[in-house]
Amino acid sequence: MNRREVLLAGAAMSLASSPLMGTRAFAQAGAEIPIGVIWPLSGPSAQIGVDAKHALETAAEIVNGSFDIDVPTAKNAGLAGLGNARIKLIFADHQGDPQKGRAEAERLITQDKVVALVGAFHSSVSATVSASCERYGIPYLAADSSSPSLHRRNLKFFFRAAAHDEMFSGGMFDFLDAQKKAGKKIETVGLFFEDTIFGTDSSNVQRKLAADRGYKVVADIKYRSNSPSLTSEVQQIKSADPDVLLPSSYTTDSILLMKTMDELGYKPKNLVAQAAGFADKATFDAVGDKLAGLISRASFSIDMAAKRPSVAKVNEMFKARANRDLNDNTSRQLTSILVLADAIDRAKSTDGEKIRAALAATDTPGEKTIMPWKRIKFGEDGQNVDADPVLIQYIGGKFVTVYPENVAIATAKWPMNG
Amino acid sequence: MSDIAVTAPITSFVASRRRQLVIALIVFAAIALIPRAVSDVYTMNVLILTLLFAALSQSWNILGGYCGQVSLGHALYFGIGAYATSILFVKFGIVAWGGMLFGGILSALVALALGYPCFRLKGHYFSIATIVIAEIGLLLVHNWDYGGAALGIQWPFNPDSWWTLQFARNKVPYFYFVLGLFAVTWLVTYAIVESRWGYWWRAVKDDPDAAESLGVTVFNSKMGAAAISAFFTAIGGGFYAAFVSYIDPESVMHFRFSLLMALPAVLGGVGSLWGPAVGALILIPMAELTRSYLGGTGSGLDLVIYGLLVMVVSLTQPEGIMGIFKRSAKKADAKAEA
Amino acid sequence: MTTQAFLQVLASGILIGLIYALIAVGLSLIFGLMDVVNFAHGEFLMLAMYAMFGLVLVTAIDPVLLMPIVVGIMFVVGVSAYAGVIRFAMRAKANPGMVQIFATFGLALVIQGLAQYFFTPDYRNIGNSWLGGKTLNLGGVFLPWPQIYGGVISLLAFGGLYLLITRTDFGKALEATREDQGAVALVGIDRNRVFALGWGLGAALVGLSGAVLAVFYYIYPQVGGPFALIAYVTVALGGFGSIFGALVAGLIVGVVEALTALILPPALKSVGVYSLYLAVLFVRPSGLFGRL
Repeated sequence: MNRREVLLAGAAMSLASSPLMGTRAFAQAGAEIPIGVIWPLSGPSAQIGVDAKHALETAAEIVNGSFDIDVPTAKNAGLAGLGNARIKLIFADHQGDPQKGRAEAERLITQDKVVALVGAFHSSVSATVSASCERYGIPYLAADSSSPSLHRRNLKFFFRAAAHDEMFSGGMFDFLDAQKKAGKKIETVGLFFEDTIFGTDSSNVQRKLAADRGYKVVADIKYRSNSPSLTSEVQQIKSADPDVLLPSSYTTDSILLMKTMDELGYKPKNLVAQAAGFADKATFDAVGDKLAGLISRASFSIDMAAKRPSVAKVNEMFKARANRDLNDNTSRQLTSILVLADAIDRAKSTDGEKIRAALAATDTPGEKTIMPWKRIKFGEDGQNVDADPVLIQYIGGKFVTVYPENVAIATAKWPMNG
Repeated sequence: MSDIAVTAPITSFVASRRRQLVIALIVFAAIALIPRAVSDVYTMNVLILTLLFAALSQSWNILGGYCGQVSLGHALYFGIGAYATSILFVKFGIVAWGGMLFGGILSALVALALGYPCFRLKGHYFSIATIVIAEIGLLLVHNWDYGGAALGIQWPFNPDSWWTLQFARNKVPYFYFVLGLFAVTWLVTYAIVESRWGYWWRAVKDDPDAAESLGVTVFNSKMGAAAISAFFTAIGGGFYAAFVSYIDPESVMHFRFSLLMALPAVLGGVGSLWGPAVGALILIPMAELTRSYLGGTGSGLDLVIYGLLVMVVSLTQPEGIMGIFKRSAKKADAKAEA
Repeated sequence: MTTQAFLQVLASGILIGLIYALIAVGLSLIFGLMDVVNFAHGEFLMLAMYAMFGLVLVTAIDPVLLMPIVVGIMFVVGVSAYAGVIRFAMRAKANPGMVQIFATFGLALVIQGLAQYFFTPDYRNIGNSWLGGKTLNLGGVFLPWPQIYGGVISLLAFGGLYLLITRTDFGKALEATREDQGAVALVGIDRNRVFALGWGLGAALVGLSGAVLAVFYYIYPQVGGPFALIAYVTVALGGFGSIFGALVAGLIVGVVEALTALILPPALKSVGVYSLYLAVLFVRPSGLFGRL
């Protein structure tokens, strides 16, 4: 037997001993498992994508390295179930365009042979990317696309660990109900939302919830995003002066809204925001002084770090890269990679069907995540119903969790301006 | 003697026309063979977009290049086609072909209605008016609840079929559709150029006085060009909707589509038969590849490269890339004569 | 809607309208001079805003004092854009109109890409300034000082521009060049130099508006887009090349936009402006004060 034959025999034996040939190959070559991540890295939403990049890379670092953090796949280097194979993120840029998103998804699937895709911020892009994933039989995780329509298309390979807009708004109205019960006066609400999928979905749910739960909508203002001026819009809010203003806006408009309200001498009685711009550091850098008392729904609350050391550790790692704390978006992006890596680990395979099955079988208790969720367990439609949103309030220059009670560390200051 | 002097250019003209047609048919046939050699999905996607924008730009060229009416609002017609096709299919179950035809006719009618006041505007006034009209269209669709407003329209999953133009993984049928569309727009342009319309447009370009005497006829021919241009642009929009299976206002009616329809023609050569195709062949793969292989860095360098290309080509080749061929052909002719 | 609220919206419309006018006038000036529409106009505005942001960051001096420096920088940017790009576009023998549109459009993409490369896509803000966050209350109608300052600067700039064009040699050279490009060469005016200075002046004006806007607006690489579209509409409404037209049209756009938002859903407020613009154009194809 020469050297070559020895090698062949060894290879044959290892093949025979393992039913998972792919797995062995990964372990032996020390190869990497390619995961496609698709975000807007250029164009008007580039800032979101660039932030996401930091979050996703932090998650990959946690998976691939060995850390004493109580989240799945952190402890050992790489994925134990696949012979410590490392994951490799392959980034693609969709510029906010559904067609480009789909083209990039197909490129990642067919050329880079990614085993799953994660994305995409814009719900419109998630719609086309998840359709492509369905057609190629690989899982798609919507990290931060929150349109409820996404999980209602009977897709087998679609998963979303985070809440969708109906859950978020539901949480906000639960909070309002609780305040009302505690004797606070809340009769009227004002909707202020941008003319995008995000704003439309959000306002549709809020309008319905307001009607169901007996709040009067006194202002219902849809505005064009990135308008040079919001004076007329704010004047209408000011005239209506609702007990609670519910804005659904991104960073640019959030900044302009707060500045314009201040300029017109209007202090809203209460602001309960649909995160987005109101969870972005840039907004607080710009108009933080006007936001004292702001309440925002969130998928994440930094003050959980006190109770849960993993949150602090992960946040430190993220901060080292991004020079800012985790927020509503970046926490969801980071978590999506951890959820996917955990599923691949349990699937012990890179086969799309097997990863899908492992994702469907996911049952991670909330304590083993960095999120304030009860747990991660996907329904038939791929939606995690236990991703309870929390409400956080901006007090003394930082956010504290004020709702629901089981995770709250302070009681809400209500009304915020009073 | 004099007879020969007159007929010689005519016969050579007819011959060159025939030669153009033969070359075109050979090119179409050659393109039709590509799917036999290429199977990669991503490459097919780039090729489909290239052919689509070659066809769209060819449609734009009829109005913008030959008529000299620089429209920067063709996204409106693209959007009408995309929305008509999507709504008819998703809400009424009418196959994509019917939707595209309807969208095309609707677009042509809109173009006629808008052409009436707009053709009175000159130069930049016309261009900016087209931008603004398309922008109004975008805003209206954005707030049109029946059309899905911002949520857009999602095409349901359907089995592969030529009727509905839905194919899950196979890109080849889409390829042949856009190749067909491109061939048709090319042939229409080819026919128009030597028709009376084409003759009037050239006359007007060369001699402003002729414009006066031809006033009404030229105006009507421009209206015709606008309608044809809008019709094919809407077909392209309808195809795009079927191809992506999802549309929303920003993804089919954004200003960038108006630019993307004009750019290939401008870079390739406005008012030339092959200009739009040559422009699209450079521009689309370039945009796709820079995004795919540089965009992932999030640095913005893909935009810089794309922008530089646009700038350099339009500055150094004002007649477009086809200008190079024209000049070298002239040189060759000059040499032959000498 | 009370009278007070109406007056508020009207006043805000006028203030923002003055800024629209200032953004638009540089574009109009360049067009009047040499028949070129600059499709990188929004990017010039963005550059000016970043220039102001950077200067405030480095020097910690108030934006009001830094304004002349930003204007100076933008003058240089304008002259360079002419020397590096437009000069060549002007030479195009074929399709000059299209070459100009797409050369400046390419320039816009390059500037935008470079801005993202050097400044990152983050949203920036000038935090504290003398004017920031202060508001004048006129019997319930609130006028923010940064916008009042912007309006005053805008009016002064229009006044200055008027004097520059009617009272100085440079202004006469500008006028002469726009009247007859061929003839000026005979009287010893260097056409290229006038064009370069015209571009410098146009960019300096948009630089001025950027310097004003940066005090109360957020800054990011795509910030120019919405303003640029308004500027094109303003210029075409007022009439290309007409400086007075730009001022009037800017005010009209600002006020109509603000008032439309009271009548139609605010998301459609631009439709009011656009429709008015089209209506005017169909009656007067060269705008309110334009010459053909």
